[in-house]
Amino acid sequence: MKTKMLICFALLIACGFGLFVFADDHEEEEMNKLVFSKETYKTMKVNNGGKISGVVKFEGEVPEKKKLAINKDPAVCGVVDKFDESLVVGENMALKNTIVYLMDITQGKDFDKDAKVELDQKECRFNPHVQIIPVGTALTVLNNDKATHNVHIFGTKKNGTSINKQQTRNRKRMKLAAAKGAEGPVEVKCDIHGWMKAWVAYVPHPYFAVTNEKGEFTLEDVPPGEYKLGYWHETCGNNNKEPVVVTVAAGGELKQDFTLKIKK
Amino acid sequence: MRTSIFVLSIIIFLLFSVIFISYAQEAPEVSERGKEVYEESCAHCHGVEGRGDGSAAKNLLPQPRDFTGGIYKIRSTASGELPTDKDLFDIISKGMPGSSMPEWESALSADDRWEVVSYIKTFYEGFKENESPPKEISLDGKIPYSEESVEIGKFFYTQFACFECHGNAGRGDGTSAPTLQDEWGFKSWPANLTENWNFRGGSSTEDIYKRFIGGIAGSAMPMFEDASFGLTIEEAQRYGQLENKVEMTDTEDEEFNTLDEKMGNAYDILDMMTEGLANEEQKQKHAEAMKIFQEKSWHITNYVKSLAPEKRPEPAIGKNALRSQYTVDTLPTIDDAAWGTLEASYFPLVGQIIVEPRQFNPTIDSVNVKSFYNDTEVAFLFIWDDRTNNTEEQENEDFGKTYEDAIAIQFPVKIPQDPTAPKPYFLWGGKKAVYLWQWKASAVNSVTELTAKGITNAEVQEVQGDIQAEGKYTDGQYRLWVKRALKTDDKKDLQIEPGVFVPIAFSVWDGANGDIDTKRVISSWYSFVLEPVPSSRRFIYPPIVALLSLGILVGLRGFVYRRNS
Amino acid sequence: MRKPSLFTICFVIFIASWIFLRYIVGSLISVPIPNSVIVMYMALILIAILVHISVEDSRLSEFLRPIIETLVDENKKVRRIVLVVLIPLFMLGYTYTNIAQKAGPPGDPRDAHPSPPLELTYKDEVIEDVENPYRHLEKDNPEEFKSHVENGRRVYYDNCFYCHGDHLDGQGHFASALNPLPANFQDPGIIPNFQESFFFWRISKGGPGLPKEGTPWNSAMPIWEDHLEKEEIWDVILFLSEYTGYSYREVGH
Repeated sequence: MKTKMLICFALLIACGFGLFVFADDHEEEEMNKLVFSKETYKTMKVNNGGKISGVVKFEGEVPEKKKLAINKDPAVCGVVDKFDESLVVGENMALKNTIVYLMDITQGKDFDKDAKVELDQKECRFNPHVQIIPVGTALTVLNNDKATHNVHIFGTKKNGTSINKQQTRNRKRMKLAAAKGAEGPVEVKCDIHGWMKAWVAYVPHPYFAVTNEKGEFTLEDVPPGEYKLGYWHETCGNNNKEPVVVTVAAGGELKQDFTLKIKK
Repeated sequence: MRTSIFVLSIIIFLLFSVIFISYAQEAPEVSERGKEVYEESCAHCHGVEGRGDGSAAKNLLPQPRDFTGGIYKIRSTASGELPTDKDLFDIISKGMPGSSMPEWESALSADDRWEVVSYIKTFYEGFKENESPPKEISLDGKIPYSEESVEIGKFFYTQFACFECHGNAGRGDGTSAPTLQDEWGFKSWPANLTENWNFRGGSSTEDIYKRFIGGIAGSAMPMFEDASFGLTIEEAQRYGQLENKVEMTDTEDEEFNTLDEKMGNAYDILDMMTEGLANEEQKQKHAEAMKIFQEKSWHITNYVKSLAPEKRPEPAIGKNALRSQYTVDTLPTIDDAAWGTLEASYFPLVGQIIVEPRQFNPTIDSVNVKSFYNDTEVAFLFIWDDRTNNTEEQENEDFGKTYEDAIAIQFPVKIPQDPTAPKPYFLWGGKKAVYLWQWKASAVNSVTELTAKGITNAEVQEVQGDIQAEGKYTDGQYRLWVKRALKTDDKKDLQIEPGVFVPIAFSVWDGANGDIDTKRVISSWYSFVLEPVPSSRRFIYPPIVALLSLGILVGLRGFVYRRNS
Repeated sequence: MRKPSLFTICFVIFIASWIFLRYIVGSLISVPIPNSVIVMYMALILIAILVHISVEDSRLSEFLRPIIETLVDENKKVRRIVLVVLIPLFMLGYTYTNIAQKAGPPGDPRDAHPSPPLELTYKDEVIEDVENPYRHLEKDNPEEFKSHVENGRRVYYDNCFYCHGDHLDGQGHFASALNPLPANFQDPGIIPNFQESFFFWRISKGGPGLPKEGTPWNSAMPIWEDHLEKEEIWDVILFLSEYTGYSYREVGH
C-alpha cells in the first residue's frame, strides 16, 4: 500500500513537472534562427583551451550568379557590378557567410573588446553580408557613399532591434542602439536601395564564426568539454534539430567540416 | 503516515499547478469587457490571439496589425517607443483612412474603446515591463503655415531625401517606391502626399509632423534625421548649393569644408548622445542642433501640407457632373495652358470585387477629368496618379508579376432616352453593349475603340474611328488627352450632342499592383454633358416678369381705388 | 395689445407651416420631406385658409382690409412704395437664378427594394421552403445556432464589409465611390421590413438580378451565388439580424 502511495506521489510530481515543462516549451521555437542557451553566459579566463576549425562546403548544382538590377543612383551604385549574395560559392565549393557556433556553451572567454563592430555601406552594398554583433555592443554603420541610405533592421521591438534610421549622404558614421539580448540572424535592408541586404546576429558569447571565401571557420580558446556545434546559412538553413556533438580536449585541435545543400 | 504522504503529494501537485497557471498567465490582467468587445469587433481581422491573422486578413493590404510584436505604426511617441494609450484609443476611435480599419467612435462607447486599449496591450508584454511612460514627441516651436515656410520646406524635402520614396511631386512615385516592403514581408507603398484623405494617421499639421519625427514603425518610413545636422537653415541651404556646384573656387571650397566639419562634429556628438557619453557642453550643442532640426521639420511639414487640398474633392455626382466647356476656337492640346482654367471633376475609384480575379487592395484613388468642346469636336484630359510607369509585363521575384498600366473610358452605345430607360450594366455592359476607349501605357498616342457586352466580353471594333490621343507620364501622374468628333458614321460609336447628359464610367489598371483583365479599379456610372452655351433668355425673361408683376400691382391698385371711390 | 389682424394670422400660419414641414419634420425623422410633398401640403393649407376666410362676408372683408389699405390709403404710402419696388425686384432675381441655373443630370428614379421574383432560387435550384432553414435552431439548439451565426460573421467579414462596413452601416471603405450606396443594415427601415427570403434573393442574385425598376445596371452588388454556398448565405442572414438586433419580417406577415 505504501509503495502504491509512493508511485502515486511520484506520478503526481511528474505530472506537475510535465505541465511546467510544457508551459516552458510554449515559447515559440523560431525556425531559421540560431540556438542560444537559456543560461546566462559567464566569462572566465580560459587557459589551454581547445580549437575547433573546419571548412563549410556546398553540395549540389551551383546556381548561376545573379547580377542585381541597379535601378537607382547609377553614378554611385552602378559603378561596380553587384551580385546576389544569398549563396556565395567559391573555389572547391567553399561556402561563404555560414555562421558556425557553439550552441550550449555557458562559460568561456570574453569578447575581444577592441574588435570593431562596423557595417559598411559602400557603392550601395552592405559589407559584411553576415555579421556577428555582441549583445550590448553598439553597431556603427558607415556611409561611404554620396547617397542617402536607410538602415532598416528587421529585429524585434522587445529586443530593441526593430530599427529603421535614415543615414543621409552627409553622415559618415552612425551608431545604432545595442541589442538587449541574443537574437537572430535578422535581416538588414536599405529600403531606398532595395537590393541592399545583409544579416546581423546579436550573440551572447564569442564562440561564433562566419566562414570566409574559402569556407573556413575557427573557434579558439574553447574550454575543454562536450558541445553542440551548430551552423546557419541564409539559403541552406541550419542544423538546430541535429547539431554535431564535439568533445574538446584541453589544448586540443578538432576538425569538423560541413556540407550544406539548398534548403527545401 | 500514509495520509501524510497523500496530503503532501496533493499539496505538491497543487503547488505545481499554481506555478503553471501563474506562469501561463504571467502577463495579462485580462480586461473581461475588453476581451469581449475585442472578440466581437476586432478579432475577425486582428485574430483572437492578436496576431493580425483573423479570417478577413487574407485579402487586406495593409495587413491588420499584429499586436504581439509591439510594433505600432501610428504613434505620438519618439522612434523606438511604444505608443501611448491615447494613441491606441485615437486610432480605434478615428480609424485609419485609406486602409480597412474603420472608425469605432460611432459603434463603441468611449468606455468600451478604453477597455479594448487595455486588452490589446496584454498581447505584448513590453507594455507591462515599461515602467516609465513612453516619450512623447514635443510639438513645441510649431511654425505657422506660410508661403515662405512652404518654400523652405521644399528645399529640405529634397535635402532630407524624402523624394527617394515619395517622389519629386510627392505622389509616392520615388524611384525606391517599387521595391518597398514592410517588416512582415508585404508590399508597402509610400504615401501619395497629394491625397491626404488617405493618410493613415490623419492629415493635420501635427499628425504629419509626428509621422515625420517618429517614423512609421514596421514600414520603410525611417526615423528621420537631420540631413544637415548642426547647420542653420541658411547654412544648410548654402551647403546644398555648394554641393551641387561642378567647380568650386578656393574660398567656396573652404566654406564648404567648414560647413562639412561643423556637420561632422554635430553627428559625432549625436553618436555620443546615443551611447550616453556626451558631456554637458556637448549636450548643450546637441540641444541647439535639435532645435534647428525641429524647425526644419516643421517647414517640411508645411510643405507636405501644401501638396494636398484641404479635403477630398466632391465626387462628380449631380451638380458636380463633368461639364465640357464650349469654345469657338480649336480645342487645346495636352500641354495647353487653357486646361489650367478648368476645374477637374473628381471620379473616385474602387477595387473590382465582383468578378474573379478581384482587386481588394486598389492603389489608384481616382481619375480627374476636364473637357472642352467646339462645334464639331470634343477633347478630354484624363488625369490619374500611379506610382509607377509600367509599360510591359515583367516578372519580379519579390512582388510577383507586374503588368502594363491602362485606362478605359466607358460610355453607352446609345444615350438612354429618359432617366427610367435601362442603361448597360455599369461593369462593361451586359445584354446592352457599351462603347469604350482603351488606352495602354505602351502605346501612348493611340486609343482603341472597343464594344463590350460584359467585363470578359469585349471586342476591338473593326472600324477604328479617327480618335486622336496623347498620353504622358510625369512625376507619378498620367495625363491622357483624347479628341474625337461629336458625330461619327459608325453605328457602334457614341454620338454626342450638346446639352444631353451622357453616362460615363472608368476602369483603370495599375500594373505594379498586379492589375490585369478583370483585376482593376472601377467606377459606377457618372455623367457628363457638353455644357450648352448659356442662353440669352436669361437677359430677356427676368425683366419681362419684373415688369409684369409691377403692372399687376399697379392694376390692382387702380381697381381697388376705383371700387372704393 | 392690439389683436393681430386676420391677414397677419393667416400669413403667419402659412409661413409657420412651411418652416415646420421644410425644416422641423426633416430633422425629426432624419430624412427631409420631398419638395413635391411639401408643395402638396402647402396647397392644402392655402385652400383651408381660403375656405376659412370666405365662409362669411365679414371675415373676407376683414381679411382684405389690410391689403386694400396698403394699396390705397394715403397714410400707408411708404409701405406701398416699398412693396411696389421690392416685389418686382424679387421676381427679377428669382427668374434670373432659375434660368441661369445649370441643369443637373437626370435623376435616377430607383426603387431600392423592388418586389422579388415569384420563385426563390439558388443558381438554378428552386427553393421550396422560403424560411431560413437554420432559424429554428435559435429555439431548438442554441449552441448550433450560435455556430451558424459565427459562420455568418466570418462570411460577412471575408466578403461584405468592404462595402457594407464593419458596423453594417453601409460605410465600408469601398462605399464612398459607389452609387447607389451599399445598403445600411442599421437603418430601422431595412431588416424589419423584409423577410429572410428577400435577403436571400438579393444576396444570391446581386445587382444584375434586380428587376428594371431597381436599376440593375447601377448596382455593384455581386452575384454571390457564384462565390458562396447556400448555407453561407443563410448564415450571413442570421448574422445580420444578430449583430443589429433587428428581426426580419416573419413569413406570412
